[in-house]
Amino acid sequence: MTAIQESIQKRAAELLESGEVTQVIAWTNGRFTNQTSPLFIQNAADAGKIVFNEYCVNTLAKYVLNEKIAGKVGVCVRGCEARGINRMIADNQLKREEVYLLGIPCEGMKDRETGEALDKCLTCTHKNPVVYDELLGAEVTDTVSEEIDKVRFAQIEAIEGMSREERLEYFNNVFNSCIRCYACREVCPVCTCRECFVDQLRAGWQGKQNNLNENRFYNLIRVFHIGDRCVECGECARACPMGLPLMELNRKWIRDLDELFAAGEEGLSDELDNTLGRYKTDDIEEFM
Amino acid sequence: MLLKKERLNDILTDMAKQARVYVPVSPDANDGGGVGKSGKAKMTRFELYSPGTAPNFDLVNTTMPPKDMLFPQTQKMYRYGFDTEGNAYIDIIHDSDEVVIFGMRSCDARSIECMDDVFLSMGYDDEFYKQRREKLATVAIGCASVAETCFCDSMGLDPNAAPGADVQLSPGVDGQSYVVVAQSEKGQALVASWQPYLEDSTAETTQVSCALKVNGDGLKDKLEQMFDHPIWEQLSKKCLTCGTCTYVCPTCHCFDISQENKMKDGERFRCWDSCMFSAYSEMAGNHNPRPTKMPRVRQRFMHKLCFFEDRYGKTLCVGCGRCVEKCPVALDITMLIDDIQAADLSKAEEVA
Ligand code: SF4
Ligand code: SF4
Ligand code: SF4
Ligand code: SF4
Repeated sequence: MTAIQESIQKRAAELLESGEVTQVIAWTNGRFTNQTSPLFIQNAADAGKIVFNEYCVNTLAKYVLNEKIAGKVGVCVRGCEARGINRMIADNQLKREEVYLLGIPCEGMKDRETGEALDKCLTCTHKNPVVYDELLGAEVTDTVSEEIDKVRFAQIEAIEGMSREERLEYFNNVFNSCIRCYACREVCPVCTCRECFVDQLRAGWQGKQNNLNENRFYNLIRVFHIGDRCVECGECARACPMGLPLMELNRKWIRDLDELFAAGEEGLSDELDNTLGRYKTDDIEEFM
Repeated sequence: MLLKKERLNDILTDMAKQARVYVPVSPDANDGGGVGKSGKAKMTRFELYSPGTAPNFDLVNTTMPPKDMLFPQTQKMYRYGFDTEGNAYIDIIHDSDEVVIFGMRSCDARSIECMDDVFLSMGYDDEFYKQRREKLATVAIGCASVAETCFCDSMGLDPNAAPGADVQLSPGVDGQSYVVVAQSEKGQALVASWQPYLEDSTAETTQVSCALKVNGDGLKDKLEQMFDHPIWEQLSKKCLTCGTCTYVCPTCHCFDISQENKMKDGERFRCWDSCMFSAYSEMAGNHNPRPTKMPRVRQRFMHKLCFFEDRYGKTLCVGCGRCVEKCPVALDITMLIDDIQAADLSKAEEVA
């Protein structure tokens, strides 16, 4: 880790110095022990502020969208960031040449409260970045996917095992607790609409009241909209201040799309290949 | 007067017969909450007490502040429409329930003083707020411990005493009892109703102070000169402009008014809004004076630490640490205060 931290610092300084990038996005220490926070540096002299340790819980991909306007942006990418970057390129939000990707193999991050593996990292299927300009460190071995799938879909199976009434009650309680802060949307590399349906006030899709109906509507539409594009970075669930199990909703889609259409994982390349949001003249569906 | 902890449920049950009593709880997994791997509740909040509710008075402070009881996330204001005769009507919706918030912390009590300033001073009373406020009694419990994110004593508060609350309970060092002091007329009435459960004695009470300290001195004066300082651009980069900090904050009080119509009837309501949202500052004709995150972040912190103090003589941050704990990107107001204190004012002039 320290070796990777040193390499990031060194390369960030060089890239900024040479003018190859105008900014580097990485992590730095937060106020508390084992806490980090996203860092944005524009000067090589600040490269020493960069930190990389097992508490770098923030996935940085989404920031690139805001920062790319000022020139090429250097950003640290692990598996989750890299897939987010691919996603945004595929969705036409970003061009590959607008970013310089500092690849980082990642053994998984820890929750600062417990010191144990972060939830989202327990289900990570790509610890090495799937796209990068240079790799800072030796590749790590991915956990066998069958093993991960047990964890990845365990909760879906538990929910599918509930009776209809139990399931309704379960999700009603989840949605009732949502405060509609939209952190889950803001942090998501798939939620890149210039204007979210939530904010189309004149159309009025999303009512402003906080109640079960509106909250359920928001959460279900969110998951419909990211449905076939989610890169499973787990940021939505990590960001949710109410600790709501958002990955369960996402994964129900993911699993259904896998079973019905062999959709596979998203964000592995920057080609647009959505299962649902794609038009193909040779689609086997007759009505197409 | 001394209140033994084992008597708490009797008091709550008694009060719940007369009023809606809200207590801090850790909802379980079946209720949208649950316990994280650390053994700590994922999310805690004030909930309506009924016999059987398990209040948790050991939470340092709740994830969600008690402001919802006074200034609900969604408050229906009036119904309107046409009756069967075709005449237009408007029916104001009144809240008439007595409410007791039992077990708030010093930060929460101070936050109500801030909201009182907003809704009940400067020559205008907000009648929806006023109605609820008049029916509200507050019982504060001194903090027997503090969280790493608590910094209220740097913001001029005392975790051991909440002068704005109607009743103050101070935890005894033995951990078994509270010393009870009524601090207002409402408080005296409440304490009088608890008489059967109180003991006429006293105890030594806990004294805590926050581990996290910030320097709040002269913040307002410095910030007044920093509206155009380049620091905001840098500080705001990591912000997601979500509504987390606003909604977990006990003092954030901005709202939006909207309505829903069905056939010939409609309801007008107000609901929490956040200065972090783009739609918050959007005007008719699509003009948005705060189009990007920098001015929004600046607004949030300027309002907390400068504008409010200018208008009402106190900061709008009570140091509860909720946003510090919950911000998904660790944009920490205490670090921001450090950065402001360290900022070089000559830079503001260069830009201005
Ligand atoms: S982050 Fe959580 S509380 Fe906020 S809108 Fe999303 S689901 Fe609701
Ligand atoms: S929905 Fe959640 S897990 Fe999927 S890409 Fe968005 S933030 Fe990541
Ligand atoms: S400061 Fe944090 S909690 Fe507040 S809007 Fe920004 S990202 Fe969200
Ligand atoms: S700004 Fe943060 S620390 Fe201050 S009162 Fe609000 S939530 Fe608490």
